[in-house]
Amino acid sequence: MTTVQGQVELVVASGKGGVGKSTLTSTIALVLAKHGYRMVAADTDAEAPNLHLALGVNTWDTVEDYLEGRIAYIREDKCTQCGVCAEVCVYGAVEVVNGKHRINPYICEGCLTCSLACPEKAIRYRFKIKAGEIRVARRTRYGFPLVSGEITPGRPNSGKLVTEVKNKAKEILGGDGIVLIDAAAGIGCQVISSLTGAKIGVLVAEPTPASLSDLKRIHTLTRHFMIAPMLVINKYDINEEFVSEIEKYARENNIPIIAEVPYDDNVPKALSQLKPLVEAYPNSPASKAMIEAAEYIATEVFPDWKKWWSKYKPKKPAPYIPIIK
Amino acid sequence: MPSGPKAIVSVTGGKGGTGKSFVATNLAVLLSERISNGLVLADLDVEAPNDHILLGVGDPLNVIEIEIFFPKIDYKKCTSCGACVKACDTGAIIMAQGRPPFVFPRLCSGCMACYYVCPEKAIARDGKRVLGYIRTYRVERNGKSFMLVSGTIREGEEHTPPAIVATKRHAMNMSRGLLLVDTGAGTGNGISAAIQYSDLVIAVTEPTPLGLHDLESILKIVSGMGYRSWVVINRHGIGPEEEHVELAKQYGVERIYRIPYSPIVPRAYSRGMPIVEYAPDDPASKALEELARDLAVELEGKLGVAGVVGA
Repeated sequence: MTTVQGQVELVVASGKGGVGKSTLTSTIALVLAKHGYRMVAADTDAEAPNLHLALGVNTWDTVEDYLEGRIAYIREDKCTQCGVCAEVCVYGAVEVVNGKHRINPYICEGCLTCSLACPEKAIRYRFKIKAGEIRVARRTRYGFPLVSGEITPGRPNSGKLVTEVKNKAKEILGGDGIVLIDAAAGIGCQVISSLTGAKIGVLVAEPTPASLSDLKRIHTLTRHFMIAPMLVINKYDINEEFVSEIEKYARENNIPIIAEVPYDDNVPKALSQLKPLVEAYPNSPASKAMIEAAEYIATEVFPDWKKWWSKYKPKKPAPYIPIIK
Repeated sequence: MPSGPKAIVSVTGGKGGTGKSFVATNLAVLLSERISNGLVLADLDVEAPNDHILLGVGDPLNVIEIEIFFPKIDYKKCTSCGACVKACDTGAIIMAQGRPPFVFPRLCSGCMACYYVCPEKAIARDGKRVLGYIRTYRVERNGKSFMLVSGTIREGEEHTPPAIVATKRHAMNMSRGLLLVDTGAGTGNGISAAIQYSDLVIAVTEPTPLGLHDLESILKIVSGMGYRSWVVINRHGIGPEEEHVELAKQYGVERIYRIPYSPIVPRAYSRGMPIVEYAPDDPASKALEELARDLAVELEGKLGVAGVVGA
């Protein structure tokens, strides 16, 4: 076993979706395992969890229901159709169907506002809602465990589930080692939960203006959490003229670029076979470049991640300043 | 539902990067040529909005703040009873032993439960916090134009659904014809809020097991909410799609479209040009045109025959 200083979270994030986070995460996982690191992989994209597919996991050792929150409903016998609930719901969950108010269960956040505002006390709640599942594969084909969370479609607060998934991963890891986190697209609740507590960030971008825009947003968040970032430019050859723009941003912000990965037909092919890219096509161009990135992490970052973190951490955290009026 | 648009069509998909914004922006351009008035495109991917980049638009006509309620506590009236702390669903209000309640702005979703529950009326109604911004652009194309309404949350904010709802309301108020909605990735209640009141939902997927997995989640929401759906298989040709077709049938999807994989797409992206303008003869552009044509025919009834030109 290769030792790591303490328990450390490594997060793979991009802001933009579909840039290759899960394929890259699977590569990093396999390479770290090959180097003998103690590690647990955690899929924290609870609204669209895909890491298990990229790792070829199709059975789970445990599947736990995640019970969270409540869903409001209107008691028709008490409701006078006054419409106060519809006015106060900031989620727009109250609809009028055939002249009657009803709460759309796919939108209801479960806050108490409508029931508190209802003059007829006509709103009740269903509790113990199955808001999602937490799934564990104790031992993947590659030795390390995988923890994955998935929300029930239409449920809120996926960030809370993400925190549970991470806690589970840390519990399984037990002592020292790496929690490898595959984050969701975006920069909201789920992603903030994924980044909280992480020290090292692998950012992924493709050479398009949209991806650069999202990279800047996710990078601001990693700065807030004092995460030391590195960058992988994926599909660099789909639009080579824009690569320099991404490189320029990385240079100006002290983000080391650890690999530039070409577009490769073998990536979707490997996914279709439910195999990690590096296992299905180890010599393909994308495999080689992603392995290079993963080897960097295994040999340059983790032997002494505190040193690496000190070198690349933000100078000071990007502050969150609320605007209150 | 505010009276505004005559029809709402939403583009969603579950997985990120399948081409939701690609389909939505190209459809907006194609439909603006066919629909005589009032097309509004709403970018409700408030965490990572990109439609303005894909359309290469300049400065917005205006920027407004998305304001949500924020509890300002009048400590002269507050008796530290703790009712607000109990009612708060997001854990935004805390009360240390013997101290009056304190609000963490970032955790607050602005739901107002604390305002309604406070027995002392110690929380002001008019406190506000800025969650993000709504930018409105005019997109000019070949003498035709449409409006793009783009919502965005401030970096560091985590409550996306209120920003999605606010942006959608703004777009609905502006729309008098077709409202085209582009959602973010995901399958949570923010996505349900984005597609609410749709006459038709277009789910964009890709021929990979990942696309398939997330397509199922999104179709569960769409069918559960009782909306009609079409599926677009983007990057057609990169992998098998039999299971996608089977799944679509199972969930009552009415039609399936295929947009062939095209290496031109990212180049068009980079120039801020929809592919239907950058490479109108590309097979991907032809597929998008077919989809737009069928959509125009489909919407004829809702928008009125006069609203649809040359359908």
